[in-house]
Order: sequence, then C-alpha cells, then structure tokens
Amino acid sequence: MIQRNEIVVLEVTTDWYLTLAAILFSIGFLGMMIRKNALIMFMCIELMLNAVNLTFISASKHFGQVDGQVFVFFVLVVAAAEVVVGLAIIVSIFKKQSSASVDVLNVSRG
Amino acid sequence: MYLEVKLELIFLLPIFLPFLSAFFLFLNKKLFNELITNFFTLNSALLSFAIAAYSFTALALDKFKPVNVELFQWISNPDITIGFTLDGLSGIMLILVTGLSFVIQLFSTSYMEKDENYCNYFVYFNFFVFSMLLLVMSSNFLVMFFGWELVGLSSYLLISFWSKKPAAAKAGNKAFVINRVGDFGFLIGLMIILDTFNTFDFYKILQNTSGIAESTITAISLFLLLGAFGKSAQFPLFSWLPDAMEGPTPASALIHAATMVTAGVFMLVRISPILQHSKIASLLIIIFGLITALLAAFSAINQFDIKKVLAYSTISQLGFMFIAIGAGAYVAAIFHLVTHAFFKALLFLGAGAVIHSMHHEQDIRKMGGLRKKMPITASMMGIGTLAISGIPPLAGFWSKDEILASVFVNGGIYYFFWALSLGAAFLTAFYMGRHWLLIFEKDNGFEHSDVAEAPKAMTRPLLLLGVFSIFIGFINTPFFHGLEKVLHVTLENVEVTHLPKGITLVVLAVLSIGAGFTGLIIAFLLFGMELHKRIDLKKFKLESPINLIKNLSTNVLYLNKFGNLFFVSGMKNLSRKVAVVVDGMLIDGSVNFVSTTFNKSSKITSTTQTGLVRNYVVYFGLFLLLLIALFIFTPLVPT
Repeated sequence: MIQRNEIVVLEVTTDWYLTLAAILFSIGFLGMMIRKNALIMFMCIELMLNAVNLTFISASKHFGQVDGQVFVFFVLVVAAAEVVVGLAIIVSIFKKQSSASVDVLNVSRG
Repeated sequence: MYLEVKLELIFLLPIFLPFLSAFFLFLNKKLFNELITNFFTLNSALLSFAIAAYSFTALALDKFKPVNVELFQWISNPDITIGFTLDGLSGIMLILVTGLSFVIQLFSTSYMEKDENYCNYFVYFNFFVFSMLLLVMSSNFLVMFFGWELVGLSSYLLISFWSKKPAAAKAGNKAFVINRVGDFGFLIGLMIILDTFNTFDFYKILQNTSGIAESTITAISLFLLLGAFGKSAQFPLFSWLPDAMEGPTPASALIHAATMVTAGVFMLVRISPILQHSKIASLLIIIFGLITALLAAFSAINQFDIKKVLAYSTISQLGFMFIAIGAGAYVAAIFHLVTHAFFKALLFLGAGAVIHSMHHEQDIRKMGGLRKKMPITASMMGIGTLAISGIPPLAGFWSKDEILASVFVNGGIYYFFWALSLGAAFLTAFYMGRHWLLIFEKDNGFEHSDVAEAPKAMTRPLLLLGVFSIFIGFINTPFFHGLEKVLHVTLENVEVTHLPKGITLVVLAVLSIGAGFTGLIIAFLLFGMELHKRIDLKKFKLESPINLIKNLSTNVLYLNKFGNLFFVSGMKNLSRKVAVVVDGMLIDGSVNFVSTTFNKSSKITSTTQTGLVRNYVVYFGLFLLLLIALFIFTPLVPT
C-alpha cells in the first residue's frame, strides 16, 4: 500500500500577518515619499493606517485579548474623520492651482 | 487733659498747611496772578505761624511735657509707627521755621516780582516748609528721613529755580549729588538703628541706650554724622553750599542759611542721648566742626560775590554749632542755631535787597558807598554784621560766647580747640566787617545814581529781623537760662556741658568780645581807612604772603579743584574705562555672542525646512527607523 505522504498544512501564523502589515506599511510609506499627487498620497496614508490596524488585530489574536480590536475601531473612526478633513484640503488645493501636486506648496519654507 | 487733647489735634496743622497751600497753588498756577498767589501763600504762612505759636505757648504752660501723636502703625514688628511729637526741641524749630517762612515769603513777594514762574516759586517754597516741618516734628527716624529727603528735593528745586542759567542747573545737581553721599550714611545709620533697637521711635530708642555695646553706638553715631555733614555742609561735603547761591536770594535765606542746613545740627541734638556715649563721635564732630569753621571763615575773606561771602559764613557758623555739639553743649548748639537763623536770614535778605536795587549785580567790587542810597538796608545789615561778629548785647554774642565757654570748660585738649574757635570768631568778625564796608562804605568809583532804597515789602521784613537779631539772644543768657528750660525734657538723660562760673566766664566773655572787636577794627582799618595803601608793603616784604592768602582764600585752599581733579575727573576716567571693558567687552560681547550663535545655528537648521510635504515624510521615516532601531537594540530589562 502506498503510503501517502502526510499533507503538510501550511499554518498561517501571526508572523505572516505581521510581515504583510510591514510590507503594506512600507508600500504606503514609499508612496508618500515618491508620489506628488495629493490624492495618491492620501491613499498611501490610508494604506499605512490599515497596515497598523492589521498589526493590532493579529496581536489581539495572538495574545487572545480584545484590546487591540478595540483600538482598531478607534483608528477607523479617526481615519474617517481625517478623510473628511483631508479631502476638503485636497479639494481646496485643487481649486487653487488646478492640479493636486504638493510640490508647488512650499510657502512655509524656512 | 483738655489742653493736651486739643494740642494733639492742632499742632499737626502747621505741618500740613504748607503742603496744602503748595498743592493748591500747584493746581492753580496757570490761573493765579501774583496778587492771588500772595494772598493764599501769605495767609497760610501766617496762619501756620499763629498755630505754631499757640502750640508752643500751650506746650510751655504744660512745662514742655512732650506731646506725641501716632497717626497709624505701619508695621508692628519691627515697630514702625508714623507719628509726630511736639517737645521743646521740635517746638523751637516749629516756631522758627513757620515764623521765618512767613517773613521771608513776605520779602519774596517783592523780590520775585514779575518772575515768569512766580507761582511755582511759592509752590516750591511751601513744599520746602512742609518737608522741613516733617523733618523736625517727626517722632521717629523714618518720618525724619522722609523729611530729610524731601528738603533735599525742594532745595534742589529752588537752587535750580532759574534753570535757564546753566550755572543754576549745575549747582542744583551738585547739591543733590553731594547730599546723596550724606544721605547714604544716614540711611545706613537708620538700618543699624532698626537692627539694634527694633523700632524707629526716638523716645523708645533714646531711653534704652544703656544696654547697647559701645561699638554699635559709635557706628550709629558715625553714620548719622555723615548724614549731618552732608546736610549741614561740613568739611568734606561743604562745597555745594556756596554753589547753591545760584538760587533766588530769599530761598537761600530760608533754606541755605536759616533752616535746612541746620537740620544736621538738629538731628545730632535729637540723638544726643546716643551721641554722648560715643567719645570718638564727639571728638570727630568737634574736629570737623573746627576745620569747617576755620576753613570757611578763611575762604570768606577774599570772596567778591555778595552771597558767597554769606554762604561761607553760614558754613563757618554751622561749624560753630558742630563744635558746640562736640563739646557736649547741646543747648548752646540749638541756641546758636536760633540766633544764627535770625541774623543770617537778616543778612541774606539784606543782600537780596541790595541785589534787587543793584539790578541783579552781585559783585561787591562794583558796589560801595550804598549807605546813603539805602539807609535802612545798610543799618539792618550793620546790625546783622555786629550780631554775627559777637558784639554784645546782640544775639550772636550770647550764643557764640556760650559755645566758646563750653569748649573751654571741658579742659585738656579742649583749651586748644577753644583757641582755634576763638580764631574762627575773629575771622568771622573780620570778613563780615569787610563785607559790610565794601558794600556800603568804601568808594569803589562806581556811580549809583539809579540805586534807591528797596521797596517796603523788603525793608519791613528786614526791620523785623533786625529787632530779633538784637533781642533774641536774651532767651538764654548766663543770667536767664530760658532755652535750657525749654529743652530740659528733651535732654533729660543727656549730660549737657554747663557754663563755667564766676570770673572764668567773665574773662572768656571779654576774650570773645575782644576777638570780635579786633576783627571788626582790622577790617575797618583795611577796608574803611584803606591803611594798606598808605604803608609801603614792599618795605615789610608782605606782598607775596598777602597775595598767597588772597589766592588761597578765593580758591578755598584749592579744595574744589582737588575735588574736581580727584573725584570728578577720576571718576569720569574710571567710568570711561569701565564702560569700555565691562560694558563694551564683557556685557555687550556676551550678549552679542549669544545672539550671533543663535542666528548662525538657526540659519543652518532653517535650510531643512523646505516647505515640501514629501521631504517631511522623509524626515519622519528617518526618525521612525531610528525609533525602531532603538527598540531593537535596547536590551530587555528583566522584570
């Protein structure tokens, strides 16, 4: 009888989630650094926030406590509020210079 | 009891009445013309004199028992109470200041006529009277110090009254600055007093002097003495008084002759219960008094400004008062203060009348022969001259003779001091005789066709003061110790030097009269008969010594020049160096260093602020990496 090899189940551990979160955060950060468009930068920020959320949840799962999940709700609320303000700013920038590029906005140069 | 209660209320009035009238005139100075100003100031002065006289009489009826009024307690520990006292000493000063203030204001109404700041003059004048009364009537050192500073201020205001003249403005500054040296000593003395006695009240302090260490007593006495030297223009700090003659003459009469400059004498008599315990202080007082009396009398010999002669004479007479205090004759000091106030006020007002009639000419070389033009002024100034020279029975004789006899009675080295004071008395008679003769007698070849007798508002005060200069000496003679009775409560615990008895007193009196007469006669021979022109001076080889004396006298032994060279120029040089090194290099340098450092460093850091959001994101990332690195490399602390 042919013995079938034992199926190796690839277990998705907490490390995976953390790595994914780190990758997402790095992508977001890189996007912040290299993109000029304010809207894209904004999306990058959202990406970073959600990377952090992922970290919270995976840590919550790992330690079996709900604190991290509670924090995620807070972050979501803050992010929602931030979207409102940030989008308003972006719209006004767009109205002023008819492009969403942030490199033109350097009036606060020292 | 009835009397006391009433007296307590009423003797504060003469103190604050001048203040009220000063304030009132100040408010209305644009509004009032000369007549209305005269009306208010003269009436207020007369009223305060009347109340002062009433208070003094009531006090005399009560056998000079001190009356204290405590207005309020400022601080309970240490005990500082604002209060006033009326005793023999302050009563005399009260009546003297208010009386002379009225007479001199009457004179001023004529002297200051048509001055553009007429009303201001009376504001300052009344303010001075208020300050002086604050000084003399206070029951504690603190209020006395307030008065002390305020008389300095009003003296400054009156000296530089004609501030358009640069000399007047400068003289005011000089008086103020030199007085500051004295006030500094006074203030330190007050601090030691508060530290030692825990109160400022005269009576509490002066009754508790027995348990205090002599070194403390000496320290207090010496510091207060410095204050008295400044205010009363004694030897090292005297040069402001001759310059103070830039002020209006009636103000000089009241402030720089009769009252303010005697504040030092008054203060020393006030603290005599402390002073008597300090031998060093007493010796210093008599030595400096002698130096002052001799130096100032010597300087007066060859002055040609009508007021400067009187100024040096004032300094010299103040020296006599200090001699009396040093010899322990506190009653004699106050006695001389009183008589001097009258005849010096008379002399100054006489000088004022002369200056007024001569159209503001003050050089006595340009006068001469004024006796026929101004008979009343001449005779009154003659009385003043005789009084100050110590010719009996005029006022100056009694007080000066009492001082000389009191010095003599101490014995020992005081015989020497007595001889020197006698010399000063001789010089006094000499320069005063010269002064009168040069103004009124000697023909200097100037025509004075337009000179006439002063107006009545000037001659009347002169006549009044003339009468007093003759008779005021009788308040305290060897036969009738009036002043001693007035002061006996004030000086209760003080050992006062008494006059010698019998034949010694007579001999001393004869000697002092002799000194006065000799001085006057020599002055008459030199300036009346002009004897020196008839003798060939070269034959006796006297010319160069006489010129030397004249030069020394005119320049006050070159003390002013020395002071200018040593203190003024020295200080200026020093302060210039300090300005360059400390201010320029040290302070400015460090301040500039700090500011340039911040400027440069901020320029460097400000380049990082580009205004570009993406750059900030990069910084943010860098610091995030740093934070992560910190977490990684921080060793875990074992729990």
